Amino acid sequence: MTAQLRSELLKLRSTRTSLLLIAWLVALALLIVALHVLSFSVADLSLEDSQLRILGLGTTIGALFAALLGALSITGEFRTGTIRPTLLVTPSRTRVIAAKVAASALAGAGIGLIAQALTAGAEAAGLAARGGHNELGGDDYAQLLAGGAAAAALFAAIGVGVGAAVRSQVATVVGLCLWLLFLEPLLLGNVPAVAKFAPEASAGAAAGAIQTQLPDSLVTPAVGVALLAAYAALAGLTGSLLTAHRDVH
Amino acid sequence: MHDATQPPAAAEAPRPAQPALSATNLSKRYGDVAAVDDLTFTLEHGTVTGLLGPNGAGKTTTLRLLLGLAAPTSGTAAVFGGPYQALERPSRRVGAVLESDDFDPGRSGRNHLRVLALAAEIDFDRVEEVLALVELSAAADRPVRTYSLGMRQRLGLAGALLGEPELLILDEPGNGLDPAGIHWLRGFLRRFADAGRTVLISSHVLAEMAQTVDSILIVSGGRLVAARRIDELADPSALEALYLELTA
Repeated sequence: MTAQLRSELLKLRSTRTSLLLIAWLVALALLIVALHVLSFSVADLSLEDSQLRILGLGTTIGALFAALLGALSITGEFRTGTIRPTLLVTPSRTRVIAAKVAASALAGAGIGLIAQALTAGAEAAGLAARGGHNELGGDDYAQLLAGGAAAAALFAAIGVGVGAAVRSQVATVVGLCLWLLFLEPLLLGNVPAVAKFAPEASAGAAAGAIQTQLPDSLVTPAVGVALLAAYAALAGLTGSLLTAHRDVH
Repeated sequence: MHDATQPPAAAEAPRPAQPALSATNLSKRYGDVAAVDDLTFTLEHGTVTGLLGPNGAGKTTTLRLLLGLAAPTSGTAAVFGGPYQALERPSRRVGAVLESDDFDPGRSGRNHLRVLALAAEIDFDRVEEVLALVELSAAADRPVRTYSLGMRQRLGLAGALLGEPELLILDEPGNGLDPAGIHWLRGFLRRFADAGRTVLISSHVLAEMAQTVDSILIVSGGRLVAARRIDELADPSALEALYLELTA
């Protein structure tokens, strides 16, 4: 298993895909935070709730890019055909998927940290530039970084599982984007009592805020992490079982 | 590995007990279509065998079944006496190339091999050896997208050879190789088999086959229609006549 994990980590490092994902993440996070900081009045911006909501954008971005990284790690193999040499060297497909989950989770934690640190930094800089007062304390930032990293790591695992189940790269990427950017925000806005148990809301609970929701309308951070871990386990097992039972062409 | 304390009886065995490769009543159906239909054959150690047949005859499906990438509908496929998945450290026993382009175009040739070497627990020194063997050392740091088809064939072969396997399975290995490359490949496969190791290559280039292999299996419509030793045939044109007659 260690051998497969090392192999998967080299796969992540040996193409430009991971770097490109991080470059997009940085650009997107900076753009979105800038737009939000500029669109609020200074009075609104100085409210703790507004500041938390802006931080919640980083949670979504971190989760999205971590999920994409995980999904690409398996759908890319189907797209390019490298799945064949991969499985010839490691015929145990469960082991291959498990190694991808572990490697993607590690990289995903890094992506979560980058997304949150960038969002928090950009927000603090924007606040200072506009003369607003930063209402957030060390506890908020600690939860943001730790919860955001954990949530992104688990979303990377979800991405591997979904990608292994779906196999098509385009369908997987479109599906993950639709869910994270459109469907779940829609659910959160309309049926928050149910949607707070969904994956993205759970990530928000872990990190401190998500989308338009604040901690009081979300589950507790521990429950958020536990729910996400359950989703990751479910996705990983489904992807692994399907991969084990399907022919590779 | 044999150790010195083994009883002499074991050392006297002229050949390993299990055939390198065997298919027994092997069948694969996709809906109503039988891609592979009741195929039975074994490969002897130390031989080069050609799997011949028209496009769609079931050659590639047969190789996938033998390598555990697809599950047979019925029958068994065995590598060294058992299913491929049961091999411990499979890359030390079997090297295979199924498609000429199973690479990430953005990854360098060297990193492609290192990724495989890490998973197979093979030293990076061996990566350099196989790169030199297939004459790709100079191009090893370039992304595979810059490689010609012939270079990709050679990189695929390098990956198959990483673990110094006893059995080599190649699907259309001559595609994209220039005459010098074909000549090199033929010599390489000959030396490989002469060292007691076993090769199965699929192809529909008959002339290339006739010069390379010891025996042929001809499949058509998923069924085995002929198994011959090449020295049973009068000359290369006899192979063509046989092939055309059986696959018509």
